[in-house]
Amino acid sequence: MSYGSTPVLVNVGLTVPAGAGVCVTGENGIGKSTLLRCVSSLQRADSGTIRVFGGEPGDSPDFWRAVATTVEPPTWYPGLTLREHAELVCRAHGQTADDAGIDEALERFGLAGHADAIPPSLSSGQKQRLTLALVLLRPSSLLILDEPEQRLDPDGRAKVAAMLAEYQAGGGSLLLASHDDKFAVASGAEIVSMEQLTGPDPTAPDPSVPDPTVPDPTAPDPTARDDQP
Amino acid sequence: MTAVVALRPVRRWIRRAQASHRDRGELLGTVYTVVFSIAVIAVMAQDTLKAVFSPLVPHLSDVGALAAATVCAGLLFLALRRLGPVSVTRPAAYFLLTAPVSRRRLLSPSLHAAAFGAGLAGAAAAFGVLGHAVTSGSLLMIVTGALFGVLLALLASAAQSRPRLASLADATARVALALGLAALVAEATGWTPPEVGGEVAMSVVVPVVGALTIIAFLFGVRDLARTPNDEILESAKTAGTLADSVYGIEPSFLAEMLERRYWARRRLRSTTLSRRLPPLTAQDLLLARRRPARLLWTAASTAMPLLLAGAPRWVLTIALLAGTVIAARATTASLKTDAGNPVLLRLLGLTSRQVVRQRLWVPAVLGAAWATAALALLQLSGALPPGQWWLLGLAVGPIGAASAVRAARAGFVRNDLIPIDTPMGAVPTGPVVYAFAGVDLLILTLPTVIVLLQDLPLTPTMIAVQLSTAWLGIQVYLSWTTDPERVGLSK
Repeated sequence: MSYGSTPVLVNVGLTVPAGAGVCVTGENGIGKSTLLRCVSSLQRADSGTIRVFGGEPGDSPDFWRAVATTVEPPTWYPGLTLREHAELVCRAHGQTADDAGIDEALERFGLAGHADAIPPSLSSGQKQRLTLALVLLRPSSLLILDEPEQRLDPDGRAKVAAMLAEYQAGGGSLLLASHDDKFAVASGAEIVSMEQLTGPDPTAPDPSVPDPTVPDPTAPDPTARDDQP
Repeated sequence: MTAVVALRPVRRWIRRAQASHRDRGELLGTVYTVVFSIAVIAVMAQDTLKAVFSPLVPHLSDVGALAAATVCAGLLFLALRRLGPVSVTRPAAYFLLTAPVSRRRLLSPSLHAAAFGAGLAGAAAAFGVLGHAVTSGSLLMIVTGALFGVLLALLASAAQSRPRLASLADATARVALALGLAALVAEATGWTPPEVGGEVAMSVVVPVVGALTIIAFLFGVRDLARTPNDEILESAKTAGTLADSVYGIEPSFLAEMLERRYWARRRLRSTTLSRRLPPLTAQDLLLARRRPARLLWTAASTAMPLLLAGAPRWVLTIALLAGTVIAARATTASLKTDAGNPVLLRLLGLTSRQVVRQRLWVPAVLGAAWATAALALLQLSGALPPGQWWLLGLAVGPIGAASAVRAARAGFVRNDLIPIDTPMGAVPTGPVVYAFAGVDLLILTLPTVIVLLQDLPLTPTMIAVQLSTAWLGIQVYLSWTTDPERVGLSK
């Protein structure tokens, strides 16, 4: 995967076991978000294979009913309050507000006092908490979260991490990118750095090989794999 | 305390700095293009302009003329209030509003511009009303119209710094607008207004209004420094977004800003979405219910086509179709949000067919209600040939809804399309495609358009043809542009 002539993801391999979590760490610009976007089908990899629950990620309703993500910046419907946004998401997945526990979820995320507000009027931290509340409220089998700890205060981070651990305990899988190792550990996800995921660049010149135009047959397959799920 | 810095040298410096990266004579070139364009458009549309400002058969009574003037004044005032009218450019709002310069000098150019523009609009409105009035009026009325326009700009400026005056003036303008329109509709449907006794001596009116305008202007200029910062920043954003919309040929910038601003001011209370309806239909219904004033104006506007009963049939036809689409657009903002960024649709996990089908219901009901009521009123007033015209509303409404939905799904203007070269110059394709998105579906109303344009009696066969065309057309639109196996809005 590259942006123009700049390679971002080269030779990346990653597996997220079902019911477990993986937290990808690494410095800014190393490709964490790009990896998450590729797994969410929001960005197409130049080459390689990505499998989510055995299938190719895409625009199918089955995929988006199984996968919930905060990789994209959120938008909000005009004229709808926080609580109504939550209810709309639950209704679309066949849940009622009471069954889904909307009020409890808003309470846990510290948003109960803002239930009647419209999302654009919230602070950036509150918007982040609302986005997380929405993806956790609706049923899903895989959560893909891009730096969920961002813009949260220490108390909020601890609460969200606990909820993510709870999500995995309930059988859900988790793939997240984060800069906060403490948060990742608290969420129960295995920490993996981008360097660990990345193999050697097959296009880079190798001093041990006399002819750089001949590919190394022992190099790992340059694919990102997510087949469990 | 920081001393007040003279503004003139600052402005002169800004102009000089800007001039260094502009072509010589760019301003003159812009002025030439604008004046030439207006002249060409005026020549091309001279017949329409004549019909608007000076019809061959004037028809308005004195009361009707007064009502028309009231409507124009109400519209002008509300437009001025939306724009500011006291404002600065966005860069000036950032750099100069917080600088130690004279606020009066900073803000007075916008007041002068607003007063000048409102004066021109007032004169044009007075000229038009005079052209439509049966009794001939003095040309001094045009001067009075211009002075009233300036007074309205000054009133709007005063309202900007006085919240109570603002709400009172806005409410008065809306009531005046409604009453004026009601009087015009009543007169168009045969109501004979009472005679207005006595002549107004223009030789007295003009000096009095003129003196009043000068005094109000002096007070207005003195009062400028009182205009609160938040009001100036808001009007600066409005003016900037309006300019962006015009230069970028992207009307959604302005529409989105107005929508955002409207909801930011509202105090909402969460309610439960109707369980009997699909979720997105329930959301649209809630959105429609949350704008009662809009619903009320939409309901009142069903009488507007009556004003055009005497106009050429194509004007009435366009008004009917436009009214239906506007009524149907009441809840399409959510679709526009999804078209801009489908992140919420992915969260909802609904297919494009489910989304469009669910989002079509409320616009279809609103469009059908509007078209049925408007056609029924036209039928009752005898403006249409024999036939049950109101039944056509049940077909035209859903088509108008499909048109509104298609326009909302178009999202934003695409400026990456290749322009078309014509003998008149290059035509940008993106804005043209955007302008016709939705309008193209109105082709389904062809049976109605034909009978209206040809003034034919409406037969049950024609009603059946129109209803079938609408049903079939909408089904084809849904199946061709949506996918039952894909999340998002596109196929």
